[in-house]
Order: sequence, then structure tokens, then C-alpha cells
Amino acid sequence: MIRVVLVDDHALVRAGVRSELEDDFDIVGEAADAGEAVDVIVSTKPDVVVCDVHLPGGNAPAVIRGVVARGTTTKFLALSVSDAADDVIAVIRTGARGYVTKTINGDELADAIRRVHDGDAVFSPRLAGFVLDAFSADLEGSADPELDRLTGREQEVMRLLARGYAYKEIARRLNISIKTVETHASAVLRKLQLSNRNELARWAAHRRII
Amino acid sequence: MPTANFMAPQSRWQIPRVDPSNRWIGGVAGAIAREVGVQPLVIRISFVILAVASGAGVVVYIAAWLWLISRQPAPGTPYEPTPKGETAQTRHAALGLVVVGLIIVVRAITRSLFVDSVVLPLGVVSVGVMVAWTNRGQSTGHATMARIATGALIGVAGVIAFVLLATSPTTAILVFLAIAAIVTAVALLAGPMLLKLTRDLDRERLDRARADERARMAAHLHDSVLQTLALVQRHAHEPSRTAQLARRQERELRQWLYLAPGNDSSAPNMVRLGPALEQMADRVDEAHGVPVKVVVVGDTYDLPPETVDPLVLAVGEATVNAAKHSGAKQIDVFAEVHADRLEAFVRDTGRGFDPDAVPKDRRGIADSVLGRMKRAGGTVAIHSTLGEGTEVELSIGVSSTSSDGNQPGSPNEKGET
Repeated sequence: MIRVVLVDDHALVRAGVRSELEDDFDIVGEAADAGEAVDVIVSTKPDVVVCDVHLPGGNAPAVIRGVVARGTTTKFLALSVSDAADDVIAVIRTGARGYVTKTINGDELADAIRRVHDGDAVFSPRLAGFVLDAFSADLEGSADPELDRLTGREQEVMRLLARGYAYKEIARRLNISIKTVETHASAVLRKLQLSNRNELARWAAHRRII
Repeated sequence: MPTANFMAPQSRWQIPRVDPSNRWIGGVAGAIAREVGVQPLVIRISFVILAVASGAGVVVYIAAWLWLISRQPAPGTPYEPTPKGETAQTRHAALGLVVVGLIIVVRAITRSLFVDSVVLPLGVVSVGVMVAWTNRGQSTGHATMARIATGALIGVAGVIAFVLLATSPTTAILVFLAIAAIVTAVALLAGPMLLKLTRDLDRERLDRARADERARMAAHLHDSVLQTLALVQRHAHEPSRTAQLARRQERELRQWLYLAPGNDSSAPNMVRLGPALEQMADRVDEAHGVPVKVVVVGDTYDLPPETVDPLVLAVGEATVNAAKHSGAKQIDVFAEVHADRLEAFVRDTGRGFDPDAVPKDRRGIADSVLGRMKRAGGTVAIHSTLGEGTEVELSIGVSSTSSDGNQPGSPNEKGET
């Protein structure tokens, strides 16, 4: 059974998620703020951490960095009510393997956790849309074209994800295996994390609140 | 010393108390001012003037400081100075006389560099400054203005006297330096006050802006969130209605938070695709109780309504169609703004249908989607598989983008209905 830690400052949300996941996952810990989260994750060493983006005492990126600094390896799935582009980009760039919003239903969440556990990337339609936006603008002075551009196939996969397709539907539509779809998604995630193209930061800042 | 003549009968002289927390150099001027009952500034200016007179002020200051320090009582001893003399004016006049007297004495003893032509105008200017600054905290604006005007007049008189009495370029430079020193001292005194004033003003402005923002927020929350919560409570026994209310509120709040400026585009007749689609999704959700998730890519500039409106209406009809007939729990709408065209996809994972055997009612709706897009010069394609869902694909050329001369995409019917 996949061992999971839940991090969210709202006890109600934790309770709700727990009741949805309890049957299929081993919930080994819960935390309500950033500091507690790092301690719980380091001591329980879960397979997957389902982490709210906005937390008292530091946001999800701070938790991810804290856990990495203390030498624990685990996988993060960000769960948030925020759809602000800079939040999404920030949490993915610090190392989360996926980003889903709290309106996701129980089955989809379970699926996302399994996917993250298997080392794959989880893209909600909205995240796929952000990625397309972030990588769409024309490149100027790109340091690493390999990282700063999506391939045609990757764009196709992202477009279908944004249109609400599941991985297996994408595989069928593009006549490729699910594994290949997953490889494309992971490659996009990697680019999102490693590309230092200014466009990403500028675009996220442009979409900032206020 | 003339000071004694002004002593009021009940006043008792004490050793001036040095206040370490309220001092510029050694606290001597402040201590004397408290004991005598005048503004510390006046004493300070007096010391400066005396310092100009062959440095006598410095000597007097150091001597007074040594004397005071050696005679300070234990900390905590009560000290209540009584103002000496009858009025503040008499005290200040006395002080001025003391200073003038000292200058004359110093001059007589030393026959120094600072001759009449320097000391006298300087003394006059100093008196002007003193008059301008005396009691500045206590009087009304009117009296203050009058005093400052008088002080300025006396100061000008001093400068004129200097010009008339000036004997050599050297003295001129020296006097200018002295006047500059006094002006600097005054600026130093007034500086903190002015700084505090502007800071207070800034903070006040910031506080007001914050309060406004808070009020705006509160008003919005009241109009939207609180209303919805009230409705949710009233409809607590109808889960679908409650969920619908929550979704609508969520979408609205999101829009308000993350798309803050909304649709107030600079060009009056232009629209943004994203907000238009969100509104459409909201209406469908409200009318049919099925959540509609909208993702828009490339929505960074305003578009002509003759392109956006038909697309949004057609997407709306396709969405309603899916909500009514597909049985899907959710509908995904994806739209992308390309340089030369707009694309939209409406997708459900509902029961789907066989495009070759379309029931009449569905055909009608498909036609209305098709017809609308066709009239606007766009295209529609419908893909559906029984048991798996339906996707409607819409595309329309952007005609009037002045920056790129792209022609509207030629109508190209791909639909299989």
C-alpha cells in the first residue's frame, strides 16, 4: 500500500481527503503547518506527500526544500484551491510531481497519487494550459533550446490534457502507448522545473494577483 | 548679571539637572533651559553665537558641563524646576542680554578677529532666529506666522547691517560661514520635525489606502460569499443545488482574485476570450447543474467581438447540449488564441452518440451550432463515440488584427453530422 502524508492547515480538508483515500492508501501522518510538515515527513518517510500550497509558516515550496535539506526523498503532489499561475509554477519548479485543485474528486485524486508514486507527472487541464502559455512565447536568447522549448509531440500531449483527456485516451488518439504519453508528460515536467527561460518567470509575474 | 532682577519671589534656584535621554552634546543647554524655563533651542543658539565669539561658547559650555556633572544628585531624586522671571518673554530677553553682554566682554578681553562688523550683525540675525523659533509649540498658527515674519525681518536687518559694516572680504566670508552655520543648525532642528510630518502624512495615506482596500474586499465578500453561504444554508437539503451554488461562488471568487481588472479593456469595443467563456460556463452550470471547467491558452490580448461572440455562443450551445444529453458529470472547455484564429473544444465523457444515427432533437442543436459558426466564417467538427463521449471542435479566423495581416481562415467544413 502506498504510504501517504497529508499536509493542509484546514482540519476539515484533511479529514475529507483522509476519508476519500483511507481505503486504498496508508495515511501515515498529517500536518497543519510547514514546520510540522517537514518533521512528520522526515520521521515517517512516506511514499507520497499530498501538500496544500498555502501553509502557515511557509508555503509548499518551503516544505519541499526543508524535506530535501534533511535528506529525505519523497514525492510531492500539490493540492490547492489556488489557480494562480505563479503558485502553480513555483511549486512545480521546487520539485512537486503534479498539481491538482481541491475540486478534484476522490477517484481522480487517488489516481493522481498512484501516478506520482510511479514517478509520473500529473497535469490537471489547467496546469497543462499554464504550460502551453508559459512555453508559447517566442524565444529570444535562449540559453538551452533543448530545455526551453516543447517538442511538437509534447505540445500535442499538453493540448489534449488541457482539453480534458486522460492519459489512456491521449495514447489511443495519438496511436502511441500510455508509457510514451507518460514519458512526454515527465519530459514536460522536467523542462518546467529546469528551464530557466525568463519567459516563465515573466509570465508568472504577469499573471500575479493584484 | 541681570538675570537675578527677573527672579520671581517664589522661584528657587536649583542645580540644573542633566537629562541623558534628552541631549545633543552634554545636555547642558537642555538642563539650563529646564531650570530657567525657556526653550532649549534658545540656549543652544546662544552657545553657538558665543562659540563664534572667539570660541567663548565652547569654553563656557565645557566649564558648565564639568560643573554640572560634578554636582548631579543621585538618580531618582525629585526635580521640579520652576520657571524664573515673570513671563517667557522676559526670560528670553534676559538670555539675549546675557549673550550680548558676554560677546562684548569677550571682545573687550581678546580684541579678536571677530570685530563689531561681524559680531553685531550676527547677534541681530541670531535674535531674529530666536524670535522666529521661540515657543513654537504653544501658540496658534496666526501668532506663529507673525513671529516668524518678525524673526525674518530682524534677520534681514542683520544681513543688511553686515553688508553696510563689512570692512574686508575675509570678514565677509567668515560672517557668511557663521550665518550658514546658524541656518544649518536651524535646518537640523526643523528637519526632524518636517520629516516626521511627511512620514505621518505618508503613513496616513497608506492607512487610508489599506482601509479602502479592506472596505472593497468586505463589500465584495458580503455581496458574494456571504450571500452564497446564506443560500447554501437554505438549500442544505438539496445536494445538487448546494454544489452548484458553491461552484458558481468559487468561479466568481477566482475570477475576482486572479483576473482582477476584469473586462475593462482599453479599447471599448474589444473583449477577452477567457472571461467571456467563464461567464458562459457559469450560465450553463447554473441552468443545468453540471460543472464546466474552462481552460484558456494564449489569452493575452483583447479581440474583436465579432469573432469572440459567435464562438462563445456556439461553445455555449455545445456545452448546453452536452449538459442536457451526455449524462457526463463534468464538461471540459478548452480554448486557444492563435495568431490567426481562435480554437475551442467542448468535451464530455458521457454516453456519446452515433453521428450517422442522430436523433432529431440533437441534430437540431448541432445545426444551430454549425449554422452560427458558418455564418461567422468558422468551422465545426463533431466527434462522438457511443459510450465514450463527445467532442465538439470549433475554429474561427481572427479577421481584424491590425498587427498581422492574416486573412480569416477559409471556411472548411470538417463536420460529419
